[in-house]
Amino acid sequence: MTEKNIIRLQGIEKRFGQFVAVSNLDLDLREGEFFSLLGPSGCGKTTALRMIAGFQEPTAGKVIIDGQDMEGIPANKRPTNMVFQSYAIFPHLNVGNNVAYGLRNRGISKSEIDTRVSEALEMVELGGLQSRGATELSGGQRQRVALARALVMRPKVLLLDEPLSALDKKLREQMQFEMRHLQQELGITFVMVTHDQYEAMTMSDRIGVMFEGRLVQVDAPPTLYAKPCNREIASFIGEMNFLPAELTAEKGDTLTISTPCFCAMTIEKNPNVEQTGRAIEIGIRPEQLEISAQEPDGYDGTVQGTVRDVAFYGENVHYHVQVDGVARPISASVPNYFHTVDYRPGDAVWLGVQSASVIDLGQNQSNT
Amino acid sequence: MTRPSGLALYAFLYLVFLYLPVLFLPLFSFNSGTIVAFPIKGWTLEWYRQLGGQETLIQALVNSLLVGLVAALLATSMGLFAARAYVRYRFRGKEASEGLVMLPLVIPGIIVASSMLVLFISIGIKPSLTAVMLGHTFLALPFSVSIMKSAFDDFDASLEEAAFDLGSGVVETFRRVTLPIVAPGIVASLLVTFTVSFDEFVLAFFLSGNQPTLPVYIWSQIRFPAKLPNTLALGSLLLLASVALLVVAEYFRRRSAKSTI
Repeated sequence: MTEKNIIRLQGIEKRFGQFVAVSNLDLDLREGEFFSLLGPSGCGKTTALRMIAGFQEPTAGKVIIDGQDMEGIPANKRPTNMVFQSYAIFPHLNVGNNVAYGLRNRGISKSEIDTRVSEALEMVELGGLQSRGATELSGGQRQRVALARALVMRPKVLLLDEPLSALDKKLREQMQFEMRHLQQELGITFVMVTHDQYEAMTMSDRIGVMFEGRLVQVDAPPTLYAKPCNREIASFIGEMNFLPAELTAEKGDTLTISTPCFCAMTIEKNPNVEQTGRAIEIGIRPEQLEISAQEPDGYDGTVQGTVRDVAFYGENVHYHVQVDGVARPISASVPNYFHTVDYRPGDAVWLGVQSASVIDLGQNQSNT
Repeated sequence: MTRPSGLALYAFLYLVFLYLPVLFLPLFSFNSGTIVAFPIKGWTLEWYRQLGGQETLIQALVNSLLVGLVAALLATSMGLFAARAYVRYRFRGKEASEGLVMLPLVIPGIIVASSMLVLFISIGIKPSLTAVMLGHTFLALPFSVSIMKSAFDDFDASLEEAAFDLGSGVVETFRRVTLPIVAPGIVASLLVTFTVSFDEFVLAFFLSGNQPTLPVYIWSQIRFPAKLPNTLALGSLLLLASVALLVVAEYFRRRSAKSTI
């Protein structure tokens, strides 16, 4: 990854009649990064991708690719290629002709086309399948053909619209790694649209989260997980326990807070959120909580509660613990070390948390 | 689940009622007697053999083939573009125009025929094969539009976008992706619209002038009792050809539905 920007979106807006699909989108993408646009369906992420590809013109703002303003340049003349959600494999062409399709638009010699097609197919591990019919391919193979067909064009940016959503879980996880490796080997900028947070987090260098047409936060996955810029993102990515808290003192980068359950703590200030007033909200990820029968030692905050529900997930167990003074049960997740479920509904337990695990979510915006 | 008894019998009678009259035509075309009545006197292929020597009949057949071909090509190419627009885009007046395109299916033929005759004469097109071709294109258009619409319904729009994304222009995308994928639908539409034109009588009767198409020729021959067995033979062949064309058309229509993955 270099520091050079390959794509710059400047004040992009897209309206369909009265409906604003994307509003005031500013985004710089670095050359060679794997970037994901993440958000629930209808948040405008696909529209944003289609504006980069040239299938849609922004109502306002600029799309700049590699220093060149793309206004008035149609999709077939842009240095981008796309992997479609449905893969859009041409059903009347075999694998080889599908992959060669774009090269034939460029007046490249037949022998070079053949070489590049077979290289591209090797790359996606479909070597030698040139003559396989498009209708004879499995879902995973179609995905690979779609990748090869786009990558063979050597685009400056590869755009991927929900590329894994049509695959079953096992295959999807395998393809996540393969696509990541491919991207790193080729050094091509990938821009992927997805609604799947795990997909975005496992594959991306950076993630941009969109809600209702707005780009809300752009960060690397660990930062996004640890320092979400608001409640919406905190609850969209991963699981989060939300707790009200009162700000008692602020000093440099730290906040001293008191909560109805975990007593007083000094936590790190989250630079991504707004802080006004004393009523703030904090978040604690379920896996950051310790659960034990006795009051645990060495934790900055502890509280006693009663197990209400137990959810067994296999790799971990979630306990929902009812704590006095908190409306909703607090969820604690424990890795399944010894194939035992230690607590049952009704058991009295203690929860412990380190102040480093407590996330400052800024001004309390919830009603609970 | 048990079926109500008698339902099968009802269905059988239903089909008999529908198709028995049609089957009389071929049956009597093999009758060696010239009177169309039971009992059948004997079996012969004579009436079919005689068809080959009749020059006016051959001319009418050629006229019909020509009209059918032109009408099928015109209606199918117009239907192809109209259907793509209906399936792909949303635009003002779309529903009204879709309804209007289908209207020829329900307007009485005699009304269409007489208005077209008046219109064509007033703009200087004399009753001729050209007039019939134009009239048949109008009649065949709803068939073409609906067949092509079903071809485009199963056609993933991102296929065209993918072609565009890979560097093809609009024309190139149409030629290399759209056309090949809807090709079975085009064949089905050509066959069906050809059959619609080939069998059509009322419009052709009004508009053909002194260049009769086959149905018009058959009608003119029915007046002569001696020629009736020939007419029956000719009608049977027409029936066979129509059924064959429609079966092939259906085969292609289904292939077009299956062509997208």
